[in-house]
Amino acid sequence: IMMFSVSHKTAFVVDHCPYMAESSRQMVECDMLTKSRGQGVIPLAPVSKSLWTCAVECSMEYCRILYDVYPTRKLVHYIVSDSEFHSLNSWRQEDQSTQELMAALASVGPPNPREDPECCSVLHGLVAAVESLCAITQYQHEARRTLMDVADRVANRGRIICLTNAKSDTHVRMLEDCVSETIQEQNKLAAGSDRLMPIQRCELVLVHIYPQGDDTLVSDRSRKELSSVLSSEVHSVRAGRHLASKLNILVQQHFDLASTTITNIPMKSFLCVSVTLKEEQHANTSANYDVELLHHRDAHLEFIKSGDLHMAGSTSRDSGLKETVTLKWCTPRTNNVELHYCTGAYRISPVDVNSRPSSCLTNFLLNGRSVLLEQPRKSGSKVISHMLSSHGGEIFLHVLNSTRSTLEDPPSISEGCGGRVTDYRITDFGEFMRENRLTPFSEGVLDASGRTSSERAKAQLERHTRYWPMIISQTTIFNMQAVVPLANLIVKESLSEEDVLTCQKTVFNLVDMERKNDPLPISTVGSRGKGPKRDEQYRIMWNELETLVKAHVGSSERHQRVLECISACRSKPPEEEERKKRGRKREDKEDKAEKNGKDADEKAWPDSERLKGPQEREKEEQTESEMIKDSPDSPEPLNKKPRLMSEEIQPPQKSKGPVSLLTMWTNRITATSRKHEVFAGRLNSVNNKAELYQHLKEDNGMDLHENGKATR
Amino acid sequence: MPFVALKLSEFTSTYHRSGAMPTVVLMDSSLSMTRPVSQEGSEEFQRKNLAVHGLTMLFEHMATNYKLEFTSLVAFSSLWELMVPFTRDYNTLQEALSNLEDYDKTCLESALHGVSNIVQQEWGSTCPCQVVLVTDGALGIGRGSLRHSLHTLKQRVEDKKFPLPFPFPAKMFIMCIANVEELQSTDAMDNLEQLIGLNGGEGQIFTMEGPLCLKSVQSMFGKLIDQAYTPFYAVLHCGNLASDVQVFPRPEPVLVDEEVDPIPKAVQTDLEIVGFIEIADISSPPVLSRHLVLPIAVNKEVDEVGAGTTEDAEEEPSANQMAGKSPNFCVLLHGSLKVEGMVALVQLGPEWYGMLYSQADSKKKSNLMMSLFEPGPEPLPWLGKISQLGPISDAAENPYGEDDSKSPFPLQPKNKRSYAQNVTVWIKANGLQTDVQKILRNARKLPEKTQTFYKELNRLRKAALAFGFWELLKGVAELLERECTLLPDSAHPDAAFQLSHAAQQLKLASTGDSQYSAFNHNITPLHTDFSGGGAGDRM
Repeated sequence: IMMFSVSHKTAFVVDHCPYMAESSRQMVECDMLTKSRGQGVIPLAPVSKSLWTCAVECSMEYCRILYDVYPTRKLVHYIVSDSEFHSLNSWRQEDQSTQELMAALASVGPPNPREDPECCSVLHGLVAAVESLCAITQYQHEARRTLMDVADRVANRGRIICLTNAKSDTHVRMLEDCVSETIQEQNKLAAGSDRLMPIQRCELVLVHIYPQGDDTLVSDRSRKELSSVLSSEVHSVRAGRHLASKLNILVQQHFDLASTTITNIPMKSFLCVSVTLKEEQHANTSANYDVELLHHRDAHLEFIKSGDLHMAGSTSRDSGLKETVTLKWCTPRTNNVELHYCTGAYRISPVDVNSRPSSCLTNFLLNGRSVLLEQPRKSGSKVISHMLSSHGGEIFLHVLNSTRSTLEDPPSISEGCGGRVTDYRITDFGEFMRENRLTPFSEGVLDASGRTSSERAKAQLERHTRYWPMIISQTTIFNMQAVVPLANLIVKESLSEEDVLTCQKTVFNLVDMERKNDPLPISTVGSRGKGPKRDEQYRIMWNELETLVKAHVGSSERHQRVLECISACRSKPPEEEERKKRGRKREDKEDKAEKNGKDADEKAWPDSERLKGPQEREKEEQTESEMIKDSPDSPEPLNKKPRLMSEEIQPPQKSKGPVSLLTMWTNRITATSRKHEVFAGRLNSVNNKAELYQHLKEDNGMDLHENGKATR
Repeated sequence: MPFVALKLSEFTSTYHRSGAMPTVVLMDSSLSMTRPVSQEGSEEFQRKNLAVHGLTMLFEHMATNYKLEFTSLVAFSSLWELMVPFTRDYNTLQEALSNLEDYDKTCLESALHGVSNIVQQEWGSTCPCQVVLVTDGALGIGRGSLRHSLHTLKQRVEDKKFPLPFPFPAKMFIMCIANVEELQSTDAMDNLEQLIGLNGGEGQIFTMEGPLCLKSVQSMFGKLIDQAYTPFYAVLHCGNLASDVQVFPRPEPVLVDEEVDPIPKAVQTDLEIVGFIEIADISSPPVLSRHLVLPIAVNKEVDEVGAGTTEDAEEEPSANQMAGKSPNFCVLLHGSLKVEGMVALVQLGPEWYGMLYSQADSKKKSNLMMSLFEPGPEPLPWLGKISQLGPISDAAENPYGEDDSKSPFPLQPKNKRSYAQNVTVWIKANGLQTDVQKILRNARKLPEKTQTFYKELNRLRKAALAFGFWELLKGVAELLERECTLLPDSAHPDAAFQLSHAAQQLKLASTGDSQYSAFNHNITPLHTDFSGGGAGDRM
C-alpha cells in the first residue's frame, strides 16, 4: 500500500502563544542605500523578526517547495494554536496553495504578547492535528470508493510538524504523551465512524525554536517509536537561518527530494538584461551564478546506482548535512525541436526562488527554452545527462539516457517491407495527420453515443481511412485538385445541405472536365504504351470516386445523395454502350436483367458494405453497377437514354417513365440555390445538349470496352 | 515474469524499464562439465556437448528472430573470461562456443561479478539484461563455491558484497545440464533457488527431463526460448489502415504498484493510433522504454501474392522482394511523421499509451520507433488525460489556428508554481533588503514611478502581514517619512504627498486594525490636485 504514505497528509501546528512574539534577535539591516548617501542621514535601526515570523516564513518555504514539486496528492493542513486552535485551511486540493495560507496567516496576525499565557498552549493545535489526520481526504475517499469491498486497504497515515518554543525536555514529553493519547482516543472514535479513518501511522516532528544567543532548554532527539502508531523526533533549532535550513532538510527527507546545482550559467550572454548586472554591482554581491534546484531524488537514480555520485560533483554544504549534485549548463541550440530519449521527468523547485540567478534561469525556461545539462567527469569527457524544460508553466528536470543504446544501428525502414515502394502519398498523409491532430476537451464530455473524446478521435480515423490508397499510382481522384472539396467533406460524420451542394458541384465540375476532355493524372504504371485512353481514364476516375463515396454512404441520407449524384452524372460505362448495341437486336434481354436487379437495388448499400475492404468492393463494383443500372427504378438508364437520344430527337422531358433524378436535382438546385452562380457545365448540359459527351458519337465505344478489363 | 514498478506519486514513478534486453551467456567451463552422459549405443556425449548444442539452438533462434539483440559470451571456472563482447554476430558467438576449453572448478560468485561489470560498462545501470547461466549444477566446493558464497552472505563488508541483486534490472535463467533428481540429491537446487531469490525472484531454473540427451536439451532450451525469446508481433492500426509489425525489443509486462493486488500490464497485440501531435507539443516526454516497429510480411499475405506459382521453399527470397515492393502502412506513416515533425499517439492497452515517431541514427538511417509511456490515464501532465483528447474537428474553431500558428498544448496547471508568480521570500536577509531597496528606488522617482512604487509597496505589505512582521511595516514607514524630508527642492510636490500617504498607510496596517491590515486590501495612490507626470501612471 504505497499510495497513501505518511507524506500524503502533513499537519503543520505553529505555536501562536505570547512567547512566540519574542524577538529572534537576528537583526536585518534594511536601510542599505543610506550608507552611500553621505553623512547627515541617520540610518534606520535594523529590524528583527519574532520567533513567530521565523516559524511562519520557514513553514511557508516548506510548503512552497512541496507544492512546486507535488502540485497534487500531497496535502497540508495548517493549524495555529494559542488559547484555542485556528484552522487556516483544509485537506481539500483547492486549499493547497501558499497564497491561500498567506492570506489566512495575515488574518491571524502575530501573537498578542498581552494575552494570558496561562490560557495559551500549542496542545490545542496538536489535538486538532490528530483529529484532522483522522479526516478523510478526497483522494482517500476516491480510493475507498473504487475499492469498495476492500476499502479497508486504503491506508491512513500522516505527519505532524509542530513549530513551538518548549520549556524543557519534560515539556516535550508532555506534548508527545498528549499526541499519543489523542491518537488512541481518536482512533476509537474513528473505528465507529464512516467519515473518519483511524490513524495507522503518525510521525511527529517537534521543532523547538529559540532566540539567537540563548542556550537551548530542549535537547535534540532522533526518531523514536512511542507506540505502534506514533514515532517522534525533536529538533532544537535557533531561529533565523538555522531554522530555515532545518526545514529545508526536512522537506527533502519527507518527500524524497534531492538537490541539483546548475553551474556555469552564462548570465551575461543568455539570461539577464543589463539591469541585472547593474543591480548586482549595486548590491555588491559576489557573482555566483549557480542555481540550486530541488526535485524528486529519482532524477539522480542513474548516479546513485552507478556509484557515480561523487564523480558527478556532489558537494557537501551546510556542515555536511546537505548534498547536491552539480551539473553544468550547456549552451542551448537554437529552437531545435527534437525528441530526446528521456527516461524520467521531475518537477523542480528553486531553493532560492527570488535570487537573481534563480529567477533568470526559471524565466529563461518559462519562455520556452530548454537547457541541456552536462555531467562533469574526471576524464574530461562530456556526458549530457539531464535537460531542464518547461511545460505549461511548470519546469521539469528531464533525465536523458546517456548510456549506449541497445537499439543502435538498426536496418533502415527502407530495407524492410514496403521499403522499396517509392510513390507513397507522404504529403497527403501528412495532411491527413494534421486533420487528425488531437486537442484537449473538458472533463467528462461524452457525445450522443457515449463516446469519450479519444474514442471520437479513433472513430474519425476510421472514417477518414475507409478508402485511402497508400501510393500515388494507386489513385486518380486523390491526385486531382478538382476532387478535393468532395473528398474532404464526404469523410465527415454528418453533412450539411451546403456540404451536399459542394459535393454535387464537385461532381458537376468533373462532368464538365470530361466534356472538355481534360487530361487526368492517371498512372501509366503497369500499362503498355501511353496508358488508357481518355474516356477509359474517366471511367477509372468515376469508379474510384464511387468507391470513396460508397464507403461513406451508410453515414447519412445526405451521403447517400452524393452517391446518387455521382451515379446519375458519371460517364456511361462501356457495358452500357455494349448493351445499347445489343439492345437494338434484342430488347427483351433488358426485361430479364430488370427482374434480377430489382432486389439488389432496393437494399441500397447495406451497412456491411462499409466493412469490406476497398479492393473487395471494387471487385464487386462491376456486377453491382450493372444490376443497378439495368433496373428500371434506377436513375441511370432513364437518365442516359434521353441524353443519348437527345442528339437525335427527344428532349428529356418527353421521355417515358418517371422523371429522372438528374432532372429532379436540376429543378431543386435551381429552386434552392439561386444565389449561387450557376455551374457552367450544368447550363450547357441543359441548353446545349449536343456538346455533352460528344465523343460518344465517335467510334471509341469499342476501345473503351476493351480497356475496361485493365482497370488497375 | 513481470518487472516490478513502484508507484511513488501521480507522476514521478520508478519503473524497472522493459526494453532492449542484451543477453549474457555465462557458460560453466569447469572440468565437471566434461562428465560423459550415459547413452545407449551411439557416440558418447559430454555434458558440455549438450550445453553447446542447446546454446547453438538459442543462437540460431536469435539470429533468425532476434537479429538486433546483443549477446555476449562469458566462460567461467575459478576465473572468468569474456569470450565474445556484446555483438549481433551470432557466427562469432557460435565459433567461440565451439572452441571453448575446459578449466578447473566452478566459482560462480566471481563470474557474476564479471557479468555485473561487463553489463554496466556497456549499458549502464538502467538497461535490463538477461543472464543465461549454463551449468551442470556442480557448483564448486569449499571457498568460492556457491554454497560458501551463500553461507557468508551476511558477513560481507561493503566492497565485497555478493553481486546479486545486480544494479541493473536483470532476469536470470539457469539452464541445468542435469535433471531435477540429480540436483536435489545435493543442495544444488536449494542454492540455485536462493540465487534466483537474491535476484528479486526475477528468473527461472530450467532442468532436463528424462535422460540427458540431445532431445531433452533441445526441449529445455525450447522452453527458454518460449519464455524469454519469443518475438512480439502486433498489428498497428490507424483506422482501416493497418500493418503487421514486430515490436523489438519485446515489450515486457509492467507492474504498477498501487493500493490493491497489482496485475502486470502487457502491451496488447493490436496497437491503435488515437491521433497525432506535434513533436514540439509532446516535448521530450519521459518513457519507460523504446522499441523498433518493424513491418513484417505475414505468411498468408505472401501466400496470396505467390498464389498460383510454386510452393517451393526457395520461393522465400522472391517473397521478400514482393514484400519490399508492396506498399506498407508503416513506411507511409514513418515518412509522413518524419516530414511533418509529428508523433502518433498509440494506445497499447486499457489506460496505457505510447507514441510512434521517426528516429534517425547518425548514419541517416531512419526507422519507425515506439516509446511506451508510464501506464495510466494521464501519462504526461502537459497533455492532460488522454481520454479527453479528441479530434480538432470537434472544436468550435481549430485550436491550432488556420495557419498552424497556435497550439492547445501544453495544458496549463490550475495553480502557478512559485517561480512563476513573484512570491516573496525573506529567509535570507538580502531578499528583504532587495525588496526594501526597490521601494526606496521608486520612491525617489516619484511621481513618474507611482505605479511601480505602490506595486512594490503592496507586495511588501502583504508579505509582512502574512508573516506577522509588523515591525518591518513600521520601519519602512519611517524610511519613507525620512525620504520625504530628504526630497530636494526640485522634487515634484506630488512626491511628498505620496510618500507621507504611503508611510501613514503602512503604519495603520502595522496596528493590526482590521480596517487597514486586511491582506487583500491594497494601498492606492493618493489623489492630489497636481496634474504632473504621475497622472497618467495612476491606477
